[in-house]
Amino acid sequence: MKALVLDGSREGETLTPVAVQGMTSALAARGIEVERVELRELAIGPCTGCFGCWTRTPGECVIEDGARDVLRSYVGSDIVAYVTPVTFGGYSSQLKKLLDRFIPVLDPRFTIVKGEVRHLLRYPRYPKTIGLGTLPSPDPEAERLFAALVARNGLNVHQTVEADVLIGVTDPESARRSADRLLDRAGVAA
Amino acid sequence: MNVFLLVGSPKGRHSASFLLGSKLAEGLRVHGAVVVEGMLYGELRSEEGTGRLLDAVDASDLVVFAFPLYVDSLPAPLTRLLERIAERRALAPGAAGAPRLAVMVQCGFPEAHQCDTAVGICRLFAGRTGMRWAGALAMGMGGSLGGDLGKLPGGGKNILDALDMASKSLADGGDIPEEAARLFSRPLMPRWLYLLFGNIGWRMQMRKNKAHRPISHRPYGQE
Repeated sequence: MKALVLDGSREGETLTPVAVQGMTSALAARGIEVERVELRELAIGPCTGCFGCWTRTPGECVIEDGARDVLRSYVGSDIVAYVTPVTFGGYSSQLKKLLDRFIPVLDPRFTIVKGEVRHLLRYPRYPKTIGLGTLPSPDPEAERLFAALVARNGLNVHQTVEADVLIGVTDPESARRSADRLLDRAGVAA
Repeated sequence: MNVFLLVGSPKGRHSASFLLGSKLAEGLRVHGAVVVEGMLYGELRSEEGTGRLLDAVDASDLVVFAFPLYVDSLPAPLTRLLERIAERRALAPGAAGAPRLAVMVQCGFPEAHQCDTAVGICRLFAGRTGMRWAGALAMGMGGSLGGDLGKLPGGGKNILDALDMASKSLADGGDIPEEAARLFSRPLMPRWLYLLFGNIGWRMQMRKNKAHRPISHRPYGQE
């Protein structure tokens, strides 16, 4: 099994790197091969909304930058973990710059999933999505929005997903235990 | 009243976000507001441009973000701007004033409620940064917006009426009325028709682009 851990931490931020460490340790302890991508170190341009990835070079973004290799890894993984500071209930801009570039993994044609319109899947298999956010203190509204956003992102790949938010966790061992519980809930086998 | 309309689409002045935003701006001007327009993607490329955006937010009584839904939330550059605004306001709390924030968001799926998470993020951002939330207009079927709102099915009446109501209320210092949000979110056509046009549209676009691969091509394996 292979897991892709997307590190959406911002420059100088301390909580998300601990969560990334916890998630990475929890996955490794289950014998899962982990690839960690530190997104702030990657030059990834914004999606230009051209739909070239659907109608010019189907399945591949027309922009040649760091996003391509990450997408290839994503398609080849069994698990993907979005680890990010919860930013007003959403993802950090570092994580979002990549997720905006994920649309080539879908087929543009429409279908209906759980009563809502979504896109068809391009690939037979997609990694199981897990969301792990961080916050310095409890913020029920932000936590609720974050869970809703991860769930909606899961629907894009026709999945039910699991998410959690670590509140003020600065100790890697606590982060590992929380990540472990999240992986259990998501049904990730050891 | 000073209004800053920020277009958060990579297509700038050629976008559906600009089309809707500029129509709202037109109504705001009729009601006496002074509206400055900004294009997020061009400005955010440089620190100077980002500074201009931050200054424009601080100098406004009302800020309007007009943007497309990207992967269930805001486009990454707009998220980046929210982070920058929050950083600036945290450094000097109270110094930046308390502008109101309203948003207009449209998505390519038919259901307007798919914009709810993006609206929720903007509302929370306003609350956490000392701005006052003034409401949202959200719509689905954004793929059917061309260059002229009047050419939409039904003459685009629901959208135009919603923008009229919203601009009047916002210019008077009020919020976006619930009735305006309801009209704006009404489907432009039956869902099945939108899906039919959409699926035909992708194929037509491929032909126009002379795409050499099938629409379901898998460049990253799993054959």
